[in-house]
Amino acid sequence: MSQVVAQRTGTPKKGAGPLAYLSRGSTLKSLVPLMPFLAFVAYFLVFPLTFIIRDAFLSNDGKFTLDNFAECFKGVYGHSFAVSIRLSFISAMIGAIAGAIIASAVVKTGTRSRRAIAATASVFANTGGVPLAFMFLAGFGTEGLVTKALKALGWNMYSGSFTLFSETGIILVYCFFQIPLMVLIFTPALENIKPEWREASDSLGGGRFSYFTRISVPLLFPAFLSTTLLLFANSFSAYATARAMTSGTLPLMPLLIGNLVDGNVLANQEHLGHAMAVCMIGVSAIVMGIYLLVLKFSKAKP
Amino acid sequence: MKRKLTPANYLALLAATSFFVFPLIAAFEFSLRVNLGKSHGFDNFRWVFQQEGFKTNLGVSFRLALLTAVAVLVLMVPTVVYLHLGGGRWKRMIEFICLVPLVVPVISFALGVGTAFPVFLQSTVYELSFLYVIVSLPYTYRALDVGLSSIPLLTLVEASRASGASMRQTLLFVIVPTIRSAVNGAVFLAIALSLGEFTLAVLLHWDTFPTWIANISQGHILNAIALSVLSLVGAWLVVVVMAIAPKSLRSNKTQEATS
Repeated sequence: MSQVVAQRTGTPKKGAGPLAYLSRGSTLKSLVPLMPFLAFVAYFLVFPLTFIIRDAFLSNDGKFTLDNFAECFKGVYGHSFAVSIRLSFISAMIGAIAGAIIASAVVKTGTRSRRAIAATASVFANTGGVPLAFMFLAGFGTEGLVTKALKALGWNMYSGSFTLFSETGIILVYCFFQIPLMVLIFTPALENIKPEWREASDSLGGGRFSYFTRISVPLLFPAFLSTTLLLFANSFSAYATARAMTSGTLPLMPLLIGNLVDGNVLANQEHLGHAMAVCMIGVSAIVMGIYLLVLKFSKAKP
Repeated sequence: MKRKLTPANYLALLAATSFFVFPLIAAFEFSLRVNLGKSHGFDNFRWVFQQEGFKTNLGVSFRLALLTAVAVLVLMVPTVVYLHLGGGRWKRMIEFICLVPLVVPVISFALGVGTAFPVFLQSTVYELSFLYVIVSLPYTYRALDVGLSSIPLLTLVEASRASGASMRQTLLFVIVPTIRSAVNGAVFLAIALSLGEFTLAVLLHWDTFPTWIANISQGHILNAIALSVLSLVGAWLVVVVMAIAPKSLRSNKTQEATS
């Protein structure tokens, strides 16, 4: 970097530019300005993480054990893995597809409305917990306005086994923050698609369908997949909304951990909670690992 | 650039708008119900403002947000600036560290904090601010990184240093004003996150505005709905106004900076 500076300012290389001191010196020395950041992260992030991992391997009398992990895969705890992963997968798929369709409309609007939509999406993507739960009860509950309107139109949502507190209900509620998150992240990717490419495809005799399958999909697939994985991680770790909606009746991993740790279910189950927490980190680490690989792959292709 | 929307596009936008607006309208209608649903009025909203907890908990949340914002600025701005100047070789490592909070579900993080932190830290509600800095890392880092990538940072620093400014002066009076919109973005993200965060607050047994809403919802559903509508519409108004209004302001600034 100092060479670039030196060339641009016209100073000889040996004398180096005014910034040379920034990049000179040993590797260790160049770490010094990062020390505040690294110390902060070490204390407030790494330190607590080591404690969860340590506690996950301890029995109640403080000895090393793997029993906590064995327990994780049994009974209701094992079941919660399946439910959590299935729910997150479905809500990520719905969010990604609906969000992509909306984003493809949003990208055609003017700059100003695009900014307003992005701002709105960022607010909605961050809703959760009690406020979100109440909005859905008011809209889609048995006495909700949307339910009544649909009933007047001849469709009773509650004629089957549907309730807002079931897995399907939670997926519907999660759409409220998953779709905006997709719109927020996917719109910039769509903005990179140049209209010239469409013109080129047209002048070469490509139709709408071949443009879609041969140009849009290959170009956008990495961005689509990586965002979908992000949505998965997002709903996988969601706690506040699930807690407000179901008051702990649906077997989702975050809810079970919360119950175990609050200690109002069974005493002495804290270590099981820690083991579950480590398992959750494991699942999202795998997902985020794939996410990073996809990103790398997409950057390799210009 | 503006392109023509197809009928399918309009349909998608219409469907999306109704999916997001109807629950809000429904919640608003519920929040206006008084006398067991026989008539409508603003009594539920009035009740909310009269509560002792409204002011105190909102105050706690605002102070937390302020502290978080300051901590994010002090910690992240010098770090990311350094990564763009001399510390480029560490950029990938720091990028990776900033992604870790996305991998760790907040509930797991809360458990670790509960067992790991010493008593003196856990005896003040402001410990949450430091945790919010961690949770917001992926977003604040990205905002600042994008902002710094879009300006001729080296030239600016060179010019400032050559004119005799210290590195601290350069940071405060040259770099920060130039990337003001990125800094604002990072700050807004941190503030929005700390005002709405529930999981860490409730698992570490602190009372903040979101946990207070959850508490009063147990006995006063309509009031809690009123509060929910209030907080969501309030946040939305603030963000949209900020997104649209400063356009003219910002373009003036960049003109000044470049001329």
